[in-house]
Amino acid sequence: MSTVELSRSGQVWGHTVQRFAPKSPPYVPPADGFVPFAVGYVELAEGVRVEAVLDCVDFDELTGAEVSLVATSPVPRFATANAGGAR
Amino acid sequence: MSASPTPVAIVGAGLSRFGRQPGVSGREMALQAIRSALDDAGLTWADVDAAFGGSDGSGLADTLVSDLGLTGIPFTNVKNGCATGGSALASAVNAIRSGSADVALAVGFDKHPRGAFDPRPEEWGLPVGYGEAGLMVTTQFFAIKIARYMDRYGITASTLAKVAAKAYRNGARNENAWRREAISEEVIATADMVNDPLTRYMFCSPGEGGAAIIVASEFAASRLAARPVRLLAVAARTRSFGSFEVFSPAIQGLDEPSSVSAAAARAAFDEAGVGPDDVDVAQLQDTESGAEIMHMAECGFCDHGDQEKWIAGGETEIGGRLPVNTDGGCLANGEPIGASGLRQVHEVVTQLRGEGGARQVPGSPRLGFTHVYGAPGISACTVLARE
Repeated sequence: MSTVELSRSGQVWGHTVQRFAPKSPPYVPPADGFVPFAVGYVELAEGVRVEAVLDCVDFDELTGAEVSLVATSPVPRFATANAGGAR
Repeated sequence: MSASPTPVAIVGAGLSRFGRQPGVSGREMALQAIRSALDDAGLTWADVDAAFGGSDGSGLADTLVSDLGLTGIPFTNVKNGCATGGSALASAVNAIRSGSADVALAVGFDKHPRGAFDPRPEEWGLPVGYGEAGLMVTTQFFAIKIARYMDRYGITASTLAKVAAKAYRNGARNENAWRREAISEEVIATADMVNDPLTRYMFCSPGEGGAAIIVASEFAASRLAARPVRLLAVAARTRSFGSFEVFSPAIQGLDEPSSVSAAAARAAFDEAGVGPDDVDVAQLQDTESGAEIMHMAECGFCDHGDQEKWIAGGETEIGGRLPVNTDGGCLANGEPIGASGLRQVHEVVTQLRGEGGARQVPGSPRLGFTHVYGAPGISACTVLARE
């Protein structure tokens, strides 16, 4: 088995919006409380779609959007350029 | 695949009530379903040579012998998520085909409390952080899948609402359903959004119920006064490379995801020697409205995207070209995980016998199909025919 380094940016393949707070535990809400967030899959050139939390300014901008990695823990987090992702 | 396996018939089908039943255990619902199936077949427990069954979270099926009778037969527990019923039926059918049994039982049951299904990441081989981040939520998968599908194939949000409205309307015609009140498309479409584009009324709820099916060799069936239905095929499959399932931290490959439902349906149709166009009534897994839409194409009943005009034209209604989920499906009956697959088989048997009452498909349906799908990428399908 070998390690493949994945791209830090890709395209949103599919997504939805988590409108209600997931059950805690296991969910750990942000310190200032739950706000709806987007979750989806980012297609990377290496041939894999990675599940991630998606930062954006407007949920409507996500379909097919170019996004880049902003965090890897506790799960990958990608952001659109409008939301602070690399341009 | 073996050519023309030993013919198997369904000789009995039984259900417990579905929906909330305070004070009634899952095991008791299983017993009701089994006794109802035995009565339907004109058999007693002593006539059963082998049994297979299970629940997701309501006890072990083999303990039912303490109530049914200690006849000493082999009773195998099955635990296969949403495919529990389908897997139990496949095992019962194989027991007949192998010649080890003349009469075999498949049973599935569950009693889930409100808001059940609390999966823990550790139990799914996922890191704790996956749950902490809020991704241990089954509904997200269904929403992401249908949202992408709608975008790609031109399915509209109003079609999602139409599918749910049909389910509640069919449920209203089914005296055994949990949800028996029609809900308008407008109420469904404007209800609280759970995960875009799916609203509260587009999802099934964890529920309660039991279902039992008795199969027999054609020789044994010919000696019964029952009204047998021929089982032309039963096929169960697990996912292949590149599939997209609940709780997938990644999807492998850049092709369109593979579909375990397509694989199971194809295997069932191959075994039955018939095609999707021959089917007169179908029960398709409807965890939410979008699932029913996608499963229509995955199981081969239409091309991707054709659902929009099929559903606008009422083709999946009772009386349409392909009535789907005539008993109200999971949306109206709830989802007792162990029972749903066999509830579908019970419904097709009912329709093929012409005993659907207010929800009977007109024109004496001859061929029926059932399909279950569940995490982590399993599917089971059957093809059934009127004698």
